[in-house]
Amino acid sequence: MKLLNDGQLKSAINAFRNTKLRNFWTMLGVIIGVTSFILVVGISEGVKLQILGQVQRIGSDILTIRPNNIQISGSSLDSLTLLSGINVSGSLSPNDLSRVANTKGVKEVVPLSAMTAQINGSGGSYKKGLVIGTTPNFDTLLNQGLSYGNFLNSTSNMVNQVVVGSQAAVDLFNEDVPLGQTVLINNQPFVVRGILDPFPATPLSSGAEFNKALFISYGNSEQMTNNTVTTYEILALPNDPSQALKVQKNIESSLLASHGGQYDFRVLNQDQNLKSSTAILDLVTKLVIGVSAISLLVGGIGIMNVMLVSITERTHEIGIRKALGATNRQILEQFLVESTTLSFIGGLIGVILAYIIDLVLRLFTDIEPSISVTIIILALIISTVIGVIFGSIPAFKAAKKEPIDALRSE
Amino acid sequence: MALIKLDNVSKIYGFGDATTVALDEVSLVIDKGEFVAVMGPSGSGKSTLMNVIGLLDRPSQGRYMLENRSVSRLRSNQSAKIRRDSIGFIFQSFNLLNKLTVIDNVSLPLAYKGISQSKRYKMASNILDRVGIRSREYFYPPQLSGGQAQCVAIARALVNNPKIIIADEPTGNLDSAGSRLVMELLSEIHAMGNTVIFVTHNPELTRYATRVVYMHDGNIIHDENTVIGRVAPRARKVLYTLPVKSIDDDLAGVSALVKAIEPKSSPQKKNKRKRKTVKK
Ligand SMILES: Nc1ncnc2c1ncn2[C@@H]1O[C@H](COP(=O)(O)OP(=O)(O)OP(=O)(O)O)[C@@H](O)[C@H]1O
Ligand SMILES: [Mg+2]
Repeated sequence: MKLLNDGQLKSAINAFRNTKLRNFWTMLGVIIGVTSFILVVGISEGVKLQILGQVQRIGSDILTIRPNNIQISGSSLDSLTLLSGINVSGSLSPNDLSRVANTKGVKEVVPLSAMTAQINGSGGSYKKGLVIGTTPNFDTLLNQGLSYGNFLNSTSNMVNQVVVGSQAAVDLFNEDVPLGQTVLINNQPFVVRGILDPFPATPLSSGAEFNKALFISYGNSEQMTNNTVTTYEILALPNDPSQALKVQKNIESSLLASHGGQYDFRVLNQDQNLKSSTAILDLVTKLVIGVSAISLLVGGIGIMNVMLVSITERTHEIGIRKALGATNRQILEQFLVESTTLSFIGGLIGVILAYIIDLVLRLFTDIEPSISVTIIILALIISTVIGVIFGSIPAFKAAKKEPIDALRSE
Repeated sequence: MALIKLDNVSKIYGFGDATTVALDEVSLVIDKGEFVAVMGPSGSGKSTLMNVIGLLDRPSQGRYMLENRSVSRLRSNQSAKIRRDSIGFIFQSFNLLNKLTVIDNVSLPLAYKGISQSKRYKMASNILDRVGIRSREYFYPPQLSGGQAQCVAIARALVNNPKIIIADEPTGNLDSAGSRLVMELLSEIHAMGNTVIFVTHNPELTRYATRVVYMHDGNIIHDENTVIGRVAPRARKVLYTLPVKSIDDDLAGVSALVKAIEPKSSPQKKNKRKRKTVKK
């Protein structure tokens, strides 16, 4: 439609300038809606990218076996709950480990057990430190490098060796490179054999926790808990990456047999792993998008109300304009332009605000939102559409006024 | 040529007991180039007549022909376009948009016509020059004196080169100097061949007109041609002053007017009509 001659835009801007404060409150709903929409989508996309990056680093052919329910020995570990975005409580048994290891097509397995323990080092202590029991191939399977020393080897369990996370190395020792130092895990002495590189930080994930963890051999962890250690994850590497799906099936049926036909475990390839990691994220994203939708709705209603008030206040003006020959449609357009300008500017402010918050998040957290141009354009379109939709009722009302009645009102 | 032709036009407000007959089967023909003064006491229907002629209001009954075209039952958009292209309004209270500059106010009718901004401004400037107020182009209406504001309103009414200028008490809010300024402008406009209709309470101002129409209770009770430069003979006999301060003043005015035109009309008919409440 042929719309907006420049006079209308000008009068829209004029009307806008004249009621700044009220307009700000009106736009607030749109601003909040747009900001939260952009941020939520951006954060969710960013986190997914980060998780994806990690999966790619680990290798896309690794299979993950997890219990459906885990109880962590020692105490419940909240960090593990968030570890992979799934709710874990329950355990895998040593029997499961050997079954997976013996499944046809499996090249290597890495068990991961977890327990909490009192940890005392020369320079500090953790009251409830995370101690992970695993096997010597952990670092190669996960592509995890070491800053100093070596990872555990096959004799580590006999000589009580420990490899510490990068943060734990700083927290627990008074030396920069504590190789060879002794640390007490539940009063049992362990000698530091290596210090890991920092794990890549992933929001909602365990990078930070792993950096504070101590890695001992799986055998040690079993022995320290009298064989009640919680195995929360088994990683399996297939011989032939192209056969990963088949191997996955094999492991599944093998475990199913030993678990008496009960699916109290899950075997995930990296795709599914990713999905389960992002499942909660997706849910939260949807929820918050819902909230921003409500906020946008409220913003729209706010705009509608302000426009209704404005039209009542400006009835005389409408009368004058009609007397001068404005058609109903020109009046309609004038007020539509006004409401749309309002909500579009609200949208713009929302976009700017989202970018500011994005910057703050990047500076002060591990979160790296990924705000795409598409999202920005979408947000601006949405705010414009809101202006048109919620502005149309008041605009129709203004357009329908009888010229003489409007002129008489003062 | 009959520019405006009203045929038994009535305007009735309200329902039942609250009914007011603002125009009572008024018939009136105005030719192109006339300069018509409309007089009458408060509530006699002058403004209603102006609004009907200016297509701001629809008659309840009767026929209105504008340039031989029936306009009594137009759709709102059609009448908007006729207002835009053929009619210029001047109001007692100026009715300028305070948030727009003088030049934006004046170019508003052009904007509704779809004329480009630069052209609009040029035309508006010209017309402001003609009414002698170009130096105030970028002022806002509250920064103007009453006389200046009314000149701007006149410029706005003229900018579309309308066929009819309708001015409802254009001098009502002005002092004598302002009134003079405005009336001289309207005279000039008339001299250039435009048709001007204005409402006034001031008999003095009939000296600018070529014709005076007297109204009472929604009727035209007298209609006379006059000579420019001389106060209309009947109007001179009317003693009421402007503006009406009290009901007594107004009633005096009414009776004076009725007396003044007695020979030509039939007062009995008027008396049957119920007396209207006079506006405060
Ligand atoms: N919107 C309306 N609703 C009801 N009655 C109205 C309305 N407008 C005008 N009237 C009535 O119509 C009659 C004529 O009014 P009008 O405004 O035409 O008088 P007027 O001659 O212009 O008076 P004044 O000199 O005071 O301006 C009055 O009795 C008035 O009360
Ligand atoms: Mg009036």
